Amino acid sequence: MRFTKAGPLAYAVLVVVLLASVFPLYYSFLIASKDNSALGDAVPSLVPGGNLIDNLTRVFDTVDFWLAMQNSLVVAGTVAISNVVLGTLAGFAFARLRFRGSNSLFLVVVGTSMVPTQLGVIPLYMLMSDLDWYGTLQAVIVPALIGAFSVFWMRQACEESVPYELIEAARVDGCSVLRTFWHVAFPAVRPQAAVMGMFTFMTAWNDFFWPLIVLDPNDSPTVQVALSTLASGYYTDYSLMLSGASLAVLPVVGIFILLARQIVGGIMQGAVKG
Amino acid sequence: MGKTPVGRATAVALAATVVAACGGGGGDAGDGKVKLSIGVFSDFGYTNLIKEYQAAHPDIEIEQRTVKMEQHHTQLATQLAGGRGAADIVAIEEGNITQFRQSKDKFVNLADHGAKDLESQWAAWKWNQGTTDNGNFVLGLGTDMGSLALCYRRDLFEAAGLPTDREEVGKLWPTWEKYLEVADAFSAKLPDKKFVDTAQNVYKAILDQTEEGYFAKADDSFIGDKNDKVEQAFTLAASLGEKKQTGALAPFSQDWNVALKQASFATTTCPAWALALIKAGAGDEASGKWDVAAAPGGGGNWGGSFLAVPKQTKHPKEAYELAKWLTAPEQQKRIFKETGNLPSEPAAYQDPEVTATENEYFNSAPVGQIFGNSAESLKPTYRGTKDSKVTPVFGNALSRVETGKQSTADAFDQAVREARDAVK
Amino acid sequence: MTVAPERAAGRGTTSAPPPAQRLSWRDKLGRLDAKFTPYVVIAPFFVVFGIFGLYPLLHTAWVSLHEWQLIEGDQGFTGLANYAELLSDGNFWNALGNTVSLFLLSTIPQLFAALGLAALLDRGLRGRAFWRAGVLLPNVISVAAVALVFAQLFGRDFGIVNALLGFVGVDPVDWRAETWASHLAISSMVMWRWTGYNALIYLAAMQSVPKDMYESAMLDGASRWRVFWSITVPSIRPTILFTVIVSTIGGMQLFVEPQLFDPGGTATGTGGDDRQFQTLVMYLYEKGFRLFDAGYSSAIAWVLFLVILVVAVVNFTVARRIASKG
Repeated sequence: MRFTKAGPLAYAVLVVVLLASVFPLYYSFLIASKDNSALGDAVPSLVPGGNLIDNLTRVFDTVDFWLAMQNSLVVAGTVAISNVVLGTLAGFAFARLRFRGSNSLFLVVVGTSMVPTQLGVIPLYMLMSDLDWYGTLQAVIVPALIGAFSVFWMRQACEESVPYELIEAARVDGCSVLRTFWHVAFPAVRPQAAVMGMFTFMTAWNDFFWPLIVLDPNDSPTVQVALSTLASGYYTDYSLMLSGASLAVLPVVGIFILLARQIVGGIMQGAVKG
Repeated sequence: MGKTPVGRATAVALAATVVAACGGGGGDAGDGKVKLSIGVFSDFGYTNLIKEYQAAHPDIEIEQRTVKMEQHHTQLATQLAGGRGAADIVAIEEGNITQFRQSKDKFVNLADHGAKDLESQWAAWKWNQGTTDNGNFVLGLGTDMGSLALCYRRDLFEAAGLPTDREEVGKLWPTWEKYLEVADAFSAKLPDKKFVDTAQNVYKAILDQTEEGYFAKADDSFIGDKNDKVEQAFTLAASLGEKKQTGALAPFSQDWNVALKQASFATTTCPAWALALIKAGAGDEASGKWDVAAAPGGGGNWGGSFLAVPKQTKHPKEAYELAKWLTAPEQQKRIFKETGNLPSEPAAYQDPEVTATENEYFNSAPVGQIFGNSAESLKPTYRGTKDSKVTPVFGNALSRVETGKQSTADAFDQAVREARDAVK
Repeated sequence: MTVAPERAAGRGTTSAPPPAQRLSWRDKLGRLDAKFTPYVVIAPFFVVFGIFGLYPLLHTAWVSLHEWQLIEGDQGFTGLANYAELLSDGNFWNALGNTVSLFLLSTIPQLFAALGLAALLDRGLRGRAFWRAGVLLPNVISVAAVALVFAQLFGRDFGIVNALLGFVGVDPVDWRAETWASHLAISSMVMWRWTGYNALIYLAAMQSVPKDMYESAMLDGASRWRVFWSITVPSIRPTILFTVIVSTIGGMQLFVEPQLFDPGGTATGTGGDDRQFQTLVMYLYEKGFRLFDAGYSSAIAWVLFLVILVVAVVNFTVARRIASKG
C-alpha cells in the first residue's frame, strides 16, 4: 500500500530483482567486449575485455547500421503513434460508447489476437508481392498500424480512468463524440496511452520474424534484419552479434529511460485523481 | 500457387484503396542499367569479383544480399511460393538442392541459355547434383565443394601414444572400423578426452560414401528401413556414442566451438569449409596443433553450393551470364585463394596454384592436395528428393544414444519409424 | 434501425411534426454522431485486421483442406485428411504437451511474482521511477537478443549457470538434453522478459484503488497480507484477467525462445533430439518452412488457434473465480 513506508527488506528484494534484470544485459555487453574465443572459458570471467571498440567497428563495417537505425525508427515510430491514436479511439468507443454489437465486436477484437502469426506469413507475403510492397517499409508498417492489443489495453484504460459522469456531462453540453474523446477521455488515459505507445514501439523495434522475410537486407533493413546479417557466416561470431545487439538495444533503452519518468509521473497523476 | 484466388484479389484491392499513397517501387533503376541481385549466405567470396564484373560491364549493376544459411533457404522458399522477391541469382546449398529440384518449374532451365556446353568444367557428380530430368534441366551451376578429410589434434594424439604425422595418421584408419579401433586405443590412454566431437558427423561421412543411402537410385523410393548400409553406418557411429567417446555436441553449435577452444576432442570430420570454423573456434593459441589427414573409407564430399536463376527474374540472360562467369574455373581459383572455398572444377582444383596451397594454421598441411585427392576418389552417393526430411531424424537418434537416453537399437527403430512418417 | 424516419424528418416530407419535439439540426447531427462515430473509430482496426489478419487466416484454412506444397502450391483437395492425420500424430501431441507445460511453468510463477513485485513497488519508496524503470528493462530487449544471451548463460560446458551450480557442488546440467531442464531454462527466459512488465500493469491498477478502502481496513486492524488479498487483489481483478489472457495467448504461441535455444536453430532444430521442448508453433514451422508441407502446417495453425481459444476461455473462467474470492 502506497502509504506504508518500505522497509530495508523491500529494498533488498528490489535490489535483487534489479540485478537479475540487468545481469543478462551486462552479460551481452561483456561478450561484446571480448574476443569471440574468450567464450570458451569454462568459468566465464565477469570482467569486460578490451575488444569493444574493435567489435563495434566490425559491426559498422559489415552492415549499414545507421540506415537500419533510421528505418527502425520510422517503422517503430509510425506504428507507435498510429496505435496510440487509433487504439485509444477504438478503446474509448468500446468502453464508453453505446452502439449495437459493441460487445460482440469487441470479442472479435480479442479473438484476433489468438491467431498464430507464423502461418499467416505465406498468404501475407503473397499479398505484399501483389501490392508490390516487397522490400518497402510499408510492408512492415501497415499491418501493424493498429493491433488488438492496443484496442484491448486502451479499452481497459478507459474503463478505469474515464468516469461515465464526465462523458454524460460533455454530452449534455452538446459535445460531439470526437470532441468528448479529445477533451475528456484522452487526457484521462494519457498515461496509459503513453505506456502502450512505448510497448508498441518496442515490439515494432524488436520484431524480426516478418521483417526478415519481407524486407531487403541491403535496401531496407531494420535493425533486427541488420543483426541477422551479422550472423550470416557459417561460423557465428558471438562477440560481433552481441556487439550489434547491444548497439540495437541502446536507442530503445534511451527512449525508455526518457519516457519512463513521464510514464511514472503519469501513473502517479492518475492515482491522485482516482 | 500461380492462380490468384478471388479473396486475394479483393484483399489487394482493399489494401490498395486504404493506402493509395503507397505502392510503386521495385523494378530497374531509372538510368537504363540492368540491376541484378545475387542472394548468397555465409561467405561466397564474391565481393571483389562483383566489382570487377561491374567495371567490365558498365550497363550492369549488381547487388549482393547475404543472410544466414538456413534463413536464406527458408526465405527463398517463401519467395518462390509468393512469386516475387527472390534475387536474380540465388545460391542453393547441396543439402537443400534436392528439395528445390522438385520445384524446378520455378527456376530458369539454364540449358536454354547454353549451360550444357559448360558441363565438362565440373566434376561429373557435381554437375549431376545441379541437374534433373536426366540432365536435360540445368537448375544450378556448381560453386564450391566441401570434399572430405579428417582433422585431428596433434598434441592429443601424441599424449595418447598415437602417431602425429599426417601420412601415418591417414594409414591408421583406411576404414571406419579401423577408426573405431584408434578411438579405443585413444580412450584407453586419455579417458578424460573425447575422441571425436559428434557421432552425427561420423555417421554422415560413412553414409555419404555409400552408393545409395535412404533412397533408391532407381526410383527415388525410401529404402532407409531396408538398406543394410544405413543400419551399418548408424551402428558404427552409435558405438562411439555408447562408449562415450564422443562429445555429444551439436555440429557447429556454440558448444562445439567451446569444445574446440577447450581442446576436449581429438578428431573431427572436416570438409574444406570447416577449416575456417575450426580455426575460429580453437583460436590462435591452438595454431599448429590441428592437422589434416585423409578420411577413412576413401574420399567424400560434404557441402558446396550452386547458383540458380529463379524464373521470376526479369533478366534471365544477364543473370545466367553472371552466374556462368562467377562459377568459371578462373574465378573459383581466386575465391579459393581469398576464402578457402574449394573449387568444384578439376581445372581449378588440379591447378598447381591450388594443389600447392598449404594451410599454416593446420601445421602447414597441403590442404589443396588433400582435398583435391579426396574429391577425386569420391564415389558419389545418391540423394533422394526427400533426403533433407530424413537426415535430421537420424541425427537426433544418434544424439539420443550419445546422451544415454536410448540404446542404439531403440534409437534406430524410432528413427526408421519417424523417417517413414516424414517421407509419407 | 431508426435511420429512415430520421432521414425522412430531415427532409421534412412528413406532415408537420409537433413543434415542441422538433429536433434542431444540431441535435440531429448529434444523434447521427452518437450512432455512427463509434463504428467509424473502430473501423481502422477491422480494416487492417481484415486485410492483413483475416484474409491470411482464411487462406490458411483453405490451404489446410488440401495437400499443399509450400512452393508448388495446391496438390489436390483432401478435405479433413490433414486434421485426421494430426490427431494421430504423436509429434503433435508431444508438442501440445510441451506447449502447455512451458506455458504453466512460465506463467503461473510469473504472475504471482509480478503481483508481489507490484505490491512492493506500491509502497512508499525512495526513487520510485528508478525501480519501476529497472523492473521493466528486460521487456525492451528483443526476444532474439534474450535468447542469444540465455544460450550463453545456460551453456553446458561454459555457461555461468553451470559454473554457479559447480560452486555449490552440483554436477553440470545439460540444459538442452533433459526435458525438465530445458523447460526450466526456457521458462526462465520468458519470466525474465515479462515479470516486470506484468508487475507494472498491476501497479498501475493498484494505484487507482481508492485510498479510503485501505484506510478503513487498516483501522479495523487487518494485517498487510490480509489487506492485500482482500482489498488490493479483488480491486484489480479486471487487470489480472487482462494479464492472464495476454499471457495465455503469448504463451501458447511460444516460438522464438525455444527455437533459438535449440543448437540446431531454425535450420534443423526440432526442440531437442527427442523433441523434448518442441512447441506447437515450432512444429508448425518445421512442417511448413522446413518440410514445405504447407497443408499440414496450416492444419496445425488452425488447431492451435482453437486450443488457444479453449485455454483462454478456461483461464478466464478460472481466473475470474479465483480473483472474485475473498
